[in-house]
Amino acid sequence: MTTTCILRAARIVGAGVALLTLTAGAASAHVQTGVAGGLVSGFLHPLTGLDHLIAMVAVGIWGAQLGKPAIWLLPISFPMVMAFGGALGVIGVPLPYTEIAIALSALVLGGAVALRWRAPFWAAAIVVSVFALFHGHAHGVELPNAANPAAYGVGFVSATGLLHLCGIVIGAALRWPLGERLVRGVGAAIAALGCFFLYAAVLGI
Amino acid sequence: MSSLSAISPARAAAGLGTASLLLLAASPAEAHIVSSRLGDFYAGALHPLMALEDLVQWLALGLLAGMQDPKRGRWVVAGFPLGLLAGVALTHAGLLPAPPRLFDGGGMVVLGLLLALAIDLPAAAVAGLAVLLGVARGSANIDGLDAANDVVLFGAGMLLSGYAAATLISAATLAFRRNGAGWRRIAVRAAGSWIAAVGCMLLAFALRAGVMQ
Repeated sequence: MTTTCILRAARIVGAGVALLTLTAGAASAHVQTGVAGGLVSGFLHPLTGLDHLIAMVAVGIWGAQLGKPAIWLLPISFPMVMAFGGALGVIGVPLPYTEIAIALSALVLGGAVALRWRAPFWAAAIVVSVFALFHGHAHGVELPNAANPAAYGVGFVSATGLLHLCGIVIGAALRWPLGERLVRGVGAAIAALGCFFLYAAVLGI
Repeated sequence: MSSLSAISPARAAAGLGTASLLLLAASPAEAHIVSSRLGDFYAGALHPLMALEDLVQWLALGLLAGMQDPKRGRWVVAGFPLGLLAGVALTHAGLLPAPPRLFDGGGMVVLGLLLALAIDLPAAAVAGLAVLLGVARGSANIDGLDAANDVVLFGAGMLLSGYAAATLISAATLAFRRNGAGWRRIAVRAAGSWIAAVGCMLLAFALRAGVMQ
């Protein structure tokens, strides 16, 4: 009885496999093409470089530390200036010392968070904008010939904005004394990583 | 007496005859209505929703309208669909060439900056922007349409789609920013900055493609 059941099941499975084999389409090595591919590729680009990632999170944290209007003006201005820098990189306009500036951005922004630097809004905006230009340029130079530029742009900008949002969410811990210490600790860690990246950039590692 | 036996032979014969006629007149079933005559209408309605170049600009215009005073913002509801129709008609008639790719990024940058900077526009500017964007997108969407397609149905579909998008997005934005805390207005402005950033990158890609050609 059991053997019959097994044989019957095997027949059904065999027939199913044969049917699937007959209806199989051509295999694609890369499924992420077109709009989906552009979106995924653009979204992952800012997340794959640690130096970019920590600086963008630091912008959000520093904005949260500075309060209004910096908490929302810095993340609004950063994507626009960064995209402008990216555009310069895409069309091939050179910008010197990009890697050093990016490393400095992590050091300065992380340091600002760690030391609770209460910079005037205009000074914070200038600091963030200058660094955004370099970050954008570095991305722009590395950008591939995107199959779908619009999708790539949407993914890229969304990821950058979400990294800022992460920073702002981390900054929400500032409400509690322990949270404030933790946030400053995160800033110190970002600054330390910035030191390492600066060392590597200067020595050309 | 059962209800079945109550049917007279004449009525049964008439019913059978009608059913036979209907069976004889049946055409092949089509799983996708796109291949029927109404396909061009749906193509016109859905075509703009398939491309991010359209989606982002339509969204930006709706957000911009929703951020304005309702008396001024409502001009988008009429101006945008009519602009789309004008773009379709003018390009189909050969009076207006399809806009270059630079227009996609340029439109996003302009609309995104207006949103991010929260600029209050006069009614004439709102209507003008809506019509201009409508003409550009209508023209871009009709470009390359097959000669076998019905342009009237395609344009009607796009008109409806544009009207629905302009109305729904602007109304949703208005409701979102009115009912709640101040951060909601800031969120819409941040979305504007993202749109401007995407436009900036698109402009660069278009410029690079132009340089490399």
